[in-house]
Amino acid sequence: MITRPMIAAVLSTTAAVVSAAAGPLQVTSSILAESRAAAADGTTRITLVKPSQITPGDKVIFVLAYRNTGTQPLANVVLDNPLPRAIAYRSANPGSPAPDVSVDGKTFGSLGTLRVRSLDGSTRAASPNDVTSVRWRLASPLAAGSQGQFAFQAVVR
Amino acid sequence: MLGAVPGYAETLAGTAIVNTGVLRYDLAGAAQTIASNTVTLTVAERLDVRLSHEGQGVILVAPPSALPTVVPLTLTNADNGSESFAIAATLSAGTIMLRGLSIDVDGDGRYDPSIDLPLVNGGSAPLAAGQSVTLFAILAATEVAGVRDAALTVTARAITGSGTPASGFAGGGDSGSDALVGPTGAAASVVVPLATGLAGPSLFKSQSVRAADGSQAAVRDSVITYTLEARFDDAVTGARIVDAIPVGTVFVPGSLTLDGTPLSDAAGTQASDAQGFSIVVAIGQVAPASVHTVQFKAKIQ
Repeated sequence: MITRPMIAAVLSTTAAVVSAAAGPLQVTSSILAESRAAAADGTTRITLVKPSQITPGDKVIFVLAYRNTGTQPLANVVLDNPLPRAIAYRSANPGSPAPDVSVDGKTFGSLGTLRVRSLDGSTRAASPNDVTSVRWRLASPLAAGSQGQFAFQAVVR
Repeated sequence: MLGAVPGYAETLAGTAIVNTGVLRYDLAGAAQTIASNTVTLTVAERLDVRLSHEGQGVILVAPPSALPTVVPLTLTNADNGSESFAIAATLSAGTIMLRGLSIDVDGDGRYDPSIDLPLVNGGSAPLAAGQSVTLFAILAATEVAGVRDAALTVTARAITGSGTPASGFAGGGDSGSDALVGPTGAAASVVVPLATGLAGPSLFKSQSVRAADGSQAAVRDSVITYTLEARFDDAVTGARIVDAIPVGTVFVPGSLTLDGTPLSDAAGTQASDAQGFSIVVAIGQVAPASVHTVQFKAKIQ
């Protein structure tokens, strides 16, 4: 059995740099790796840690933590994360809302609704490897003082 | 380690993975955009190597007088970066000598001593990520005497480091990235079975029995047909096949043949004679890679 602690609790132990931008909304980006350790109760505990080294094939977790530090609610919050070229998208991290994804940076939707056009003009169903960007939308305004995070799993190409 | 993403070249060591998220929101009706901090991770160099030899058979190492025997091996840099490899070779038999190790510099698959120069300090030149080259082990036998069950063991190790997978070398990778040992241990070995001396001639003797009643019973008056098959890998001169007529049998006159052609039984003939209890067949000059067969018959007394 595998238990997953709250990512927020883990994040507090990592040296993530908070956005320097002034304003009521802050967003902090981290790239983390899973560390598995046997717990005393026989389960495997997964914690997210800053990776010491990454090589092709390694699984990494992208975490985007946001917080409204202002005094007013913020509406229409959208978080975009274009993927670095060396990163292949896999899935939303457990506990995180699933993002909309895009294979061209323009059209966003669930992966199953997207198609990739080949050089010969034919199209095929998009796979996670085709994803170039992910996006989350907050359905309701972000109240003053509230926070949350999005996270997705990926693999180093 | 989940393995590389199929269909994509591995990201090269030293590549920076840079990530920045962008937040958009509306504050008091005005659209705002902010960027997150930027996270940068540098892809480390995973040290891996493969070494292989095509084919399963025993390689016959040429005798001292002949040209050296060249054993081709395939060395693959399975890193995601550029790497040189230290190559070492050992031989299990003292009568086989390693003349040298060379990379097939011009990639033509053939060993050319003037082009494919020996390894410098036992190491390969840097190979690009994923690059394969042919490595030649050049061998020679030091004695004519035969050796079976010998072996050539060649080992390749990443110069940056090798050993326990995941052990690291800070700053040892390309472009100042870290290096770490991959699943192969950054070392690979191949064992090639060898033999020597089998290039000398060999002789195989077989027999068949036919009794008067047509059966294969070895009884009085049964006739035994002996077949002597001589194999020569190299050219030789003065070859002779000598075989004693077994005690309790008598040579059947006129039954001696060489490669199907009858030979004279009479003493003093040049080609052969049947002297007392032996047949002696002089073959003389023999071409390389040839087989000669002598047959004769003897009757059980």
